[in-house]
Amino acid sequence: MRTLVLIVCSFLLFGCSEEGVLTSGRVAENIAPDASLQYSGNFVPTAGISVAGAAQIYFSEGSYKVQLTGFSISNGPDLKVYLSKSDVPNNFVNLGNLSSQTVYEIPDSVEVADYSHVLIHCQQYNHLFAVAALTQN
Amino acid sequence: MRKLVLVAFLFFGSKTLFAQGCSDAGICSIDKGFDRETDSVRQVIETAVVYSLGEADVKYVSPYVAYTKHFSSKFSFTARVTYSTATGSFGTRSQFGDAFLIGNYRFKPKQQKQWSAMLGFKFPFTASNLKINGYSLPLDYQSSLGTIDVLAGTALKTGNFDWQLAVQIPVVNLNRNSYFSEYSGTTDFPSTNLFERKPDALFRATYTWQLPSRKLTFKPNVLFIYHLGEDTYENIFSKRVSIAGSDGLTVNINGLASYRLTKKQQLEVSVATPVVVRDIRPDGLTRSFVLGVSYQILF
Repeated sequence: MRTLVLIVCSFLLFGCSEEGVLTSGRVAENIAPDASLQYSGNFVPTAGISVAGAAQIYFSEGSYKVQLTGFSISNGPDLKVYLSKSDVPNNFVNLGNLSSQTVYEIPDSVEVADYSHVLIHCQQYNHLFAVAALTQN
Repeated sequence: MRKLVLVAFLFFGSKTLFAQGCSDAGICSIDKGFDRETDSVRQVIETAVVYSLGEADVKYVSPYVAYTKHFSSKFSFTARVTYSTATGSFGTRSQFGDAFLIGNYRFKPKQQKQWSAMLGFKFPFTASNLKINGYSLPLDYQSSLGTIDVLAGTALKTGNFDWQLAVQIPVVNLNRNSYFSEYSGTTDFPSTNLFERKPDALFRATYTWQLPSRKLTFKPNVLFIYHLGEDTYENIFSKRVSIAGSDGLTVNINGLASYRLTKKQQLEVSVATPVVVRDIRPDGLTRSFVLGVSYQILF
């Protein structure tokens, strides 16, 4: 009976995937050499998480971008990069999935000066991983 | 002859249309427990595979297995597990979808009319947030909507006609989808980050036409699904917004041919295509064409 349960559970966990045109890798986005650093802050972890690095916000050619520098963090299942108005994820702009890329574009409609933090947040389990309080450069 | 024309139309009809689909094996297929006429059958094991075409270039192969136990001539219970493989520009994603547990009760016939009722639940195996290579996927690529649903319905059999009325109500939303159209590189699918789905109501009319030998049965039917409200999602600014046009009516025409191989084995082929659709279909149940084949063992 235990074997049967194990087989059933194994099947339930079974899933597979294969990348396609829209998921076949990321084009590394870079900060332009002439971009000006506007805001920056070091990441601080929440309980049980380890994190290193900083968030920097650059302005170039009419748009803002967040760059994560020297960045590493504990593994999480559904980590997002938020530009937030506070140190908790209540009022924020979701910049997308945390991935191997280090640059995240901020939508043009966002008034960057209104936002004070960059957060790394696990959306699936609603768990905050790290907080970077921004200061103006 | 008219029925043959209808079946042919279902096979070769308007492939370019889209519909809210029956691919989730939800309310579109809840009538299974109602439709067996053989009182001697106590148990049924069914295995099936469904091929369908979705939005954009998405294609699906969705097998399922089901077990039905007839406790008496009145009461039966069905358990079903679904699996789904979706293939398209985002890649290929395969995963278990949902488990369905459904009870059916058949009332005593009166004056050639027979009522039946069903009540069931749908449990998802995923939170509808499967990814490929770290990229979030639209609901069209998810194997489940990530909701625990209640399914309830009633059916009336009068002569060769069956009339069914049912609702599928999400009661617990476990959906943690994180797809944003803005970050995906395509506009084929709407954003569905932290999607919340509204209930559906269903009405189906089925005509049963059996050959004199009783080996072959045709069941053309028309299926009306009304999505009772606009679905919502959380946009990139962390605000919950309604998806305009996601509510409303879908009408599918379906055909089913059932062939009795032996006294204890049955083969079914079904096709479906839509004729009326909602403006926006974010739930990923959209299909332009569905072809299903199922094999049943009755004992």
